[in-house]
Amino acid sequence: MLLVFEDSHKEHLSFLVGLEPEVLREFCKISMNFIRKGTNPKVFQGAAQKLGVSAESVQHGVEGLMYLLTESSKMMLNEIDFQDSIMTLGFDDDTRTTLLEVYLSQRKDIRDILNEVSMDLPHYHNLEWRFDVQLSSRSLRHQVSPSILLQLQTQEDGEKKTQMLQTDPVNLIHLTSVLEEALQEMKSGYCRRIVRNIK
Amino acid sequence: MELGSSILENISVAGDAAHISDKAFISLVQAACQGVLLEEHRNAVAENPAFKDTDKAILKEAYSGLVTLILEAAKHDSSEQNISSVLEDCKFTTDRISSFAKEFLPQKPHVQLLLGKISSSFPHIVDVDWRLDYYIKNNHLEKVNSAVYLISLKTEVPGSNDIQEVQFSCSLEQLQDLVGKLKDATKCMEKLTQG
Repeated sequence: MLLVFEDSHKEHLSFLVGLEPEVLREFCKISMNFIRKGTNPKVFQGAAQKLGVSAESVQHGVEGLMYLLTESSKMMLNEIDFQDSIMTLGFDDDTRTTLLEVYLSQRKDIRDILNEVSMDLPHYHNLEWRFDVQLSSRSLRHQVSPSILLQLQTQEDGEKKTQMLQTDPVNLIHLTSVLEEALQEMKSGYCRRIVRNIK
Repeated sequence: MELGSSILENISVAGDAAHISDKAFISLVQAACQGVLLEEHRNAVAENPAFKDTDKAILKEAYSGLVTLILEAAKHDSSEQNISSVLEDCKFTTDRISSFAKEFLPQKPHVQLLLGKISSSFPHIVDVDWRLDYYIKNNHLEKVNSAVYLISLKTEVPGSNDIQEVQFSCSLEQLQDLVGKLKDATKCMEKLTQG
């Protein structure tokens, strides 16, 4: 799979052509910071003064770079596809190597960030359990009813939620065996075939 | 089992042949057991033809006495002997004591079952459904390619007739963690019951 650039994007990235490798690395660093923490226009001004160009072209360069890195990470481009994608942008070998290095080293971080902004379902976080035997209550003395208290922690959009649940021995065994079956299902031939074929 | 004096008086009324005939007594004990066990039989004494010759005020006292005795005896799991001695104190004849025991004792476990249900508790897990999805991509991310389980715990909540659901998702690793912990709990429980 190759990235397809729009003309305006190509134009923005053309600012990076011919930059010194150190300067390019600096730009990559700024782009990564912006991807992590959001943009900070003040930085453009400073860099523009140093390089003697307009703040706008610096901004376009950085934004182009941010877009290039996030799109490539989003698509999970491999090394060759990434290199082929930027081939037509007129970068020299050094620049391409630098970009590839940055892409490969930052891809996981960027995907983690993209994963964070993705739709999230309430998901399992932790489970604590304890085993009790109920001996007596206001309405019935002399009981022996075993119960398992479960404290389930789920997480959604970074917020943890704790719920208290309980169950009895028979249901605990049932619950465990049903969920174990669910776990085994992922190892079944059918699921493995699907996983193999979706690349 | 300790009963208040007004309750004992009411029980005595039920045992008194001058107020309640032998035939009506057996029906009354049956009606009291049914009234405790089944909601639709609750307070259905007034219309019962078996008591048409019994004074309504007397009937009410006797019925409330027997219902209290049944509930208290079940609550404390009183033995036949215990119950007999209470009834003896209330001047019951041996015949009436044994017919009370004959009607009540077979129902005692059922009454206890109902009493055991009266308690506050956390939502009680009774079943679980799961679904396995393969998460392929979203609008921000391609090739996510990971297994996602959706788990739905079915729970019963005291005081509600509906089954409620607790839903959450799990990655493969998270489900492994969850199952591991549940297995620990199961093992611990099995050890305890064997020892």
